[in-house]
Amino acid sequence: MGEPVLLEFEVKPLDFLAAGEAAEHVKETLKTLGLSSDICRRAAVVAYEAEMNLVIHGGGGRMVLRVEEDRIAIIAVDKGPGIPDLSLAMQEGYSTAPDYIREMGFGAGMGLSNIKRNSDEFEIDTEIGKGTKLVSVIYIK
Amino acid sequence: MAHGIRVLEDSCRGCVNCIKSCPTEAMRVIHGRAHIIEELCIACGECLRNCRHRALQLAEDPWESISNNKDTVALMVDPSLCTQFLWPPNPDFLIGPLRDIGLEPISGVNSEAFDLAALAVSRAIESADSKDMPLISTYCPAVVRLIQIRFPELLKHLVPVESPLEFGIDLWRIRTQQKELVALAASCPARIAMVHDPVGREVSSAEWAISVARLAKEIRSRGYAKAEIKAPAEGERWVQWGMLGGETLHVASFMNRHLNAIAVSGVRNVFDLLQEVELGLHAEVEFVEARICDTGCIGGIGNAESRFLSQRKIRSQKVRWDRTAREIEMLEKLYRARIWELQRKIEPINRLPLGEEISQAMEKLKEMNAVYAELPHIDCGACGRPSCRAMAEDIVRGRGEVEDCIFKLRKRISGLAEELLLLSRRLVHTVVEDKH
Repeated sequence: MGEPVLLEFEVKPLDFLAAGEAAEHVKETLKTLGLSSDICRRAAVVAYEAEMNLVIHGGGGRMVLRVEEDRIAIIAVDKGPGIPDLSLAMQEGYSTAPDYIREMGFGAGMGLSNIKRNSDEFEIDTEIGKGTKLVSVIYIK
Repeated sequence: MAHGIRVLEDSCRGCVNCIKSCPTEAMRVIHGRAHIIEELCIACGECLRNCRHRALQLAEDPWESISNNKDTVALMVDPSLCTQFLWPPNPDFLIGPLRDIGLEPISGVNSEAFDLAALAVSRAIESADSKDMPLISTYCPAVVRLIQIRFPELLKHLVPVESPLEFGIDLWRIRTQQKELVALAASCPARIAMVHDPVGREVSSAEWAISVARLAKEIRSRGYAKAEIKAPAEGERWVQWGMLGGETLHVASFMNRHLNAIAVSGVRNVFDLLQEVELGLHAEVEFVEARICDTGCIGGIGNAESRFLSQRKIRSQKVRWDRTAREIEMLEKLYRARIWELQRKIEPINRLPLGEEISQAMEKLKEMNAVYAELPHIDCGACGRPSCRAMAEDIVRGRGEVEDCIFKLRKRISGLAEELLLLSRRLVHTVVEDKH
């Protein structure tokens, strides 16, 4: 098996205008590899939600798309406040997003559950005050 | 001829306006001439709007082939044709002028055809599975093509109802038993493509496509521009489809409850909305009316009249949205006959992947990223591609070289020049320099 392909994105905090760009880029990149449109869509959803988490909660961060021959991984890393109660954060509709962000139509509390639903493997590593690392894996075959 | 657009090679100056304006990066300048990559073109007409040299034109059929036809040609009237003149946008006022330029309008079936389309859409919404929501209108052929190319996951959201401009012609042929050839009045390149390269059916019901602008010009040249006709009390429902929101109003009029719909127009809005729909942000919306041209079909590049004047004309008309019992009975009959249905499944248009096997494609992708990293990232367009990224992709697909980039070329030349200088000093060591 060859070396994986890596694509990296810087995500700036509270940059709502650019939100969705990385997701579109992920989708178009995977399409050029000839992956099925369903896989491209799932990866786009994961990338979008992960990106939004970085924008809203993480104080910005890094997102990496890692493509191997049998799987893609989307990894989002931030140095934000961390998630105090992970099981609560995974619940649909639970959100700690402030009102002004909700008023913009974001922060509906669907992010993590949406990522999990579209992943074949899902892992989240978080520490209060240190940051959060999220890994979502989607199988290609 | 790519999707309703023609490049006039002699007029093209090889500038980068069109390639920079294309929303799907479907254009390249090769050897000083614009080229369209067909499988990426959605026929939106943005390149025509941005060409300063008039080198891009609608690939409509020549007016002479229609006007010189030995038999009368029937014309399917687009709502936007009704708004091109000084009189109110009532289709009846077009009958005289159109006959005068040798065309027989078949607008008589339009109110029924558009009613039927709206009814069929409302029925599709009422019976749709929640996972297929929102349903997306098929009326704008450029939006349909954009979905085929960029958002194939949304194909199942397309409402399975054909454009009434298409099945309306079928309906007219069934009704009148006429054998006349039909031309479609086209307000944009995508409508022209609908005739010559149809989606959702094998062959278009129209034989020709002629631009609304050309028809308007012919009519105006006969002095009709000054004609004054008094406004009738009531406007036709189907003319409302020319303006963004008209289809939604029509569909909603068939429903006994509130319709949760979004209507957007303009390339940027349509792109963003479709992306959001794909990400699942609009799952509670039932119907999406998306038009690639700002303000709707009246904003198409194939019109002669200002889109804002057209909008005002359509808005100034009072429209009755309820129908008589007799009309409804007739519609139900036509609905059961299913002439409104898409005849063929709309398939995705997939781009050729970078490699046959995923491992090959991954190698190419790495190569592409490496090439891209070395480019200046200013997307100047001087290489004939819309962006450095498109350039990198073209290179790994074997359609270009790094030196197509003038910045890379300059670097290469300066490197060569230095090398030459060094060489020249070495070669002439027998000559004693600088005797002064």
